[in-house]
Amino acid sequence: MIAALVVLPIAAGLALYLVPRSAELTAKWLGVLVAFACFVIAVLGNGQPDESLRWLQRPFTANLHVGLGGLGYWIVLLLALSTCCALVALRIPRQRDFVAQMLLLLGAMSGVFVARDLLVFALFWDLMLIPVFLMLVAWAPRRNTATAWRYLVYNLSGGLALLLATAAYGVVEGSTDVIGLSVGHGATAIGAVWGTWIFAGYAFGFLVKTPVWPFHTWMPDTYADLPPPAVAVVSAVQSKAGLYGFLVVTAPLLPDQMRAATTLMFVLGLVGLVYGALVALVQDDAKRIVAYSSLSHLGLILLAAFSGNPVALAGAAVYIVAHGLFSAGLFIVLGQVEEREETRLLSRLGGLGEIEPKLAGALHIMVLAALGLPGLCGFAGEILILTGLYQAGAVWPTAIALVPIILAAAYMLRLFQHFMHGPPREDIPQRPDLRPVELLALAPLVVAIVLLGVYPGPVANSGVVAGPNAVVSLAIGARR
Amino acid sequence: MSNDALVLLALWLLPLASAILIFAFGPMLRRSAGVIGSGAVLVPFALTWVLAASALGTGGLKVHLFDWIAGFSFGLWLDPLSLLWTLIITGVGGLIHVYAIGYMWSDRAIARFFAYMNFFVFAMLTLVLSDNFVGLLVGWGLVGLASYFLIGFWFFKPSAVAAAMKAFVINVVGDAGLMFAVFVLFAATGSTAYADVFAKAATLAPATVLLACIAIFIGCAAKSAQIPLHTWLPDAMEGPTPVSALIHAATMVTAGVYLVARCAPLWDVSPEARALVGTIGALTALVGAILGIAQWDIKRILAYSTMSQIGYMIMGVGVGAYQAGILHFFTHAFFKAQLFLAAGIVIHALHDEQDLRKMGGLGKKMPLAFWAMTIGTLAIIGFPPFSGFFSKDAVIYGALERGYPLLSLIGVVTAGITAYYMCRMLFVTFLGNNRGNVPDVDLGIPAREHSEPHFGESAPAWVMGAPVAILMVPSVVAGWVVFGGRWNALFASDFAPKPESALATVLPEWLVGVVVLAFVAWGVAAAYHRYGSFDATVSAVERLRAESQRMAQPLVRAFYFDDALEALFVRPARAVGSAFMRVVDPHVIDGVVRDVVWLAGWIGREVRALQTGLVRGYALVLALGAAAFLAYFALIGASR
Repeated sequence: MIAALVVLPIAAGLALYLVPRSAELTAKWLGVLVAFACFVIAVLGNGQPDESLRWLQRPFTANLHVGLGGLGYWIVLLLALSTCCALVALRIPRQRDFVAQMLLLLGAMSGVFVARDLLVFALFWDLMLIPVFLMLVAWAPRRNTATAWRYLVYNLSGGLALLLATAAYGVVEGSTDVIGLSVGHGATAIGAVWGTWIFAGYAFGFLVKTPVWPFHTWMPDTYADLPPPAVAVVSAVQSKAGLYGFLVVTAPLLPDQMRAATTLMFVLGLVGLVYGALVALVQDDAKRIVAYSSLSHLGLILLAAFSGNPVALAGAAVYIVAHGLFSAGLFIVLGQVEEREETRLLSRLGGLGEIEPKLAGALHIMVLAALGLPGLCGFAGEILILTGLYQAGAVWPTAIALVPIILAAAYMLRLFQHFMHGPPREDIPQRPDLRPVELLALAPLVVAIVLLGVYPGPVANSGVVAGPNAVVSLAIGARR
Repeated sequence: MSNDALVLLALWLLPLASAILIFAFGPMLRRSAGVIGSGAVLVPFALTWVLAASALGTGGLKVHLFDWIAGFSFGLWLDPLSLLWTLIITGVGGLIHVYAIGYMWSDRAIARFFAYMNFFVFAMLTLVLSDNFVGLLVGWGLVGLASYFLIGFWFFKPSAVAAAMKAFVINVVGDAGLMFAVFVLFAATGSTAYADVFAKAATLAPATVLLACIAIFIGCAAKSAQIPLHTWLPDAMEGPTPVSALIHAATMVTAGVYLVARCAPLWDVSPEARALVGTIGALTALVGAILGIAQWDIKRILAYSTMSQIGYMIMGVGVGAYQAGILHFFTHAFFKAQLFLAAGIVIHALHDEQDLRKMGGLGKKMPLAFWAMTIGTLAIIGFPPFSGFFSKDAVIYGALERGYPLLSLIGVVTAGITAYYMCRMLFVTFLGNNRGNVPDVDLGIPAREHSEPHFGESAPAWVMGAPVAILMVPSVVAGWVVFGGRWNALFASDFAPKPESALATVLPEWLVGVVVLAFVAWGVAAAYHRYGSFDATVSAVERLRAESQRMAQPLVRAFYFDDALEALFVRPARAVGSAFMRVVDPHVIDGVVRDVVWLAGWIGREVRALQTGLVRGYALVLALGAAAFLAYFALIGASR
């Protein structure tokens, strides 16, 4: 059943190429159906027994082992939901091919978050790059594929580091079937030297993927050039893979190394936090504003991951899901704006609120969630993380981290007001407001944003595991 | 859950339900949205009275809602303090809602307006009813949001949009301060609930308490327009006048007063925090009053007077004279709402003209507005026996009693200035001849954009008149609650008894009151001499032009607070952001990345004779390598 989360969308994605190219609507709704099925399967599969097949015996043991629970469960839900909403909300030329790629992406990313074996994890890690790369090539604006190659080379370098680290871990430890084992497993067996190199490999892969400053320069271009539904899913979920990696994979396996890297990660996270917010303040392209805001927000989760504080980690779990919800929502709504107005530049837009009030309302909610309005999901994550950071003794990082929160209000409102407020502009198309189906696509995201903001309890309590050396990790359910 | 608890939940959620309803069905509802919206505030007002008995009982009325994680529990708490605020929010708020039906009658977006107003009431109730800091913070943020919505209600006006943005961002600064307070208190006590935190207040390290108090007060300063975070309030007058009355006068801006009073156990153990907050409050009172002298826009005068009066309240609760500060909130809510609503009648009748210089002689044309404004002015300047007299004296004497004679003195001087600028407004607006037809240039008004007047049909006059008339009563009598010591007894359980300072024993309260009255008389006389006397009204046009042209620059620029914030924070942030975007990202970071790629390419060229010269070639090699690596392990697995 859990394996179906991976197999079903990949099979459906490949099968979609059998559907005639012209059957665009069929393809779209088939895709929506599969994504929704994944959502249902995830709900039913939460906490079910793991599924495992023997794979390798030499040079180390590796199993095709998948499981669902804890943080992984919430991310898989988020993934299915955001794919579903993005496919319903937006239209794309060559729809059949696009939906097929989205389903492949859905399957590959599910694989990352259900994997219970490091090698399976690494395999899906690289696999999830391919649909994104193909979409960047096939739907490149002005047929410029430089962004696609940049994305691939940068992320494959990270993936390669991760793969080498996995191999090294397998050789040293004898087994890679270890994700979700209790904290500190293997801490004694791995020597300091091997441990450091293995951690470095993982960390490089995770930092590039998230991305964390200064490994972020591939991201704004990628987010700007990807078609809106794809960037919604990539920013919502793919960007969480690295943080999930730190929180779930390396924290229990390599606690000493995590601890040793704390200062470095705090510096990188803090710099990214402030840097991203400042750059977002001056961008003209709305998608780039959101891209840099992601750099800023994800820096905060990185701080939480290395804080070793249970409250901060509970906040990290909440914020991972929260950021997924509002960044998916933001990119979907920006896509809807671009579909109508044929631009997403702040300097070209204005006064849309008058003619498209529903669109304005939708963008408003997403923007408010993103800037951390109390009562919506972003705030719940932020306050828990920062409370935990302060409790962990990181007084100055906490104080510094409040600055980007103020800046977020400025850049997010700037985006909104340039789009929606001011006198209506004559030089942009006057298009109809959101259709009912487009509203319907946003409704689940809005409901989730409010629910998680008011009552983040279920996500926050999905499991924090304390380990030796004051390293804390997030649980993904018991291994069964 | 007890009946009382259900009633409390109902009165809290009713405005929210109404806001959602109106928002969803707005186009269908049109003006009936106003009736629904008003009902959704007045019914909670009635329900609050039902709960008064249990709120005044020991410990108040508590309702637990849910927990996020350990230490983050959420609930409602109705005690004397929150009861008072709830009554004002729903009572004065309800009247303003009714008034707004008339004010917004011909606005196309009247339904949206009432949805926002109801949402504000819900947010404000959340703020005062919460039993913990995080719930408070949620209310704190949401009132800021409602304020932002309503300041920018006419979002086609660029000035309104800019004002809304400024208000929101400055309020987020305050939110951040309050968040920091949560961190400090949670780290020290392991909880965010008031009860837990205050129970441990006396045992905390003084430095911790001071830090928490400063952080809390940053929140208060932003929300309650205390210097230097006050600059958003005058600009917030871009919103419709009922908004100014409800949010930017009677309720939201007093949230800081509420919070300092709520956190009395913290302030009680930190003398430094007391001195700091009292001083900021007194300075704000003074600065607001001075800036009030230099304004021509009737709403901006009222905005600066609000800032100044909240300065008094903050001074009161800051120095520990909690009952006095709260009393001033109580009386101020009535007379300031009344002043704004009366100003709204004037503005409405003049088709959105807000400049004093274009008014004059309106006393005969609009008797209700004139009398409302007169009573409001008498109340705010502290003329006995109007309500402001009791509360302002209580604050000034309270500061003296608590051992802050200097702050008390500032309060006395400010009272005189207040009398001057309020009477100036009153005289210039209502006395003499009407100047509506005098060209702008002759009055010294700089060129300005005229918004298009909307000559829609009007509501019956009583819709706007009745709330103003009703408010006149408490504007006069609200201060009388001090007689018999009932007011102080109401909060006896919340606040520690006051220590008498040596000065207070020498100077009796009546003497201080007389001194204040002397300053007030001086202010009224000066204003009368310049604007109210027969000579002044006859030569009003020349006098106003001369004054407009000769206004001192520091006053025109509002003591340069805006310029300073702009130069210190806004411009540097943009400059650094631009530098990162134009230089660091493309040249520094990507420069290194390119070097690494170049190095890889160079190694490739050296090692392999075969080179394609294309990046994609290297990427392909990399991909193939990874694939081969995987295939190798897969094959091993298969051969097992």
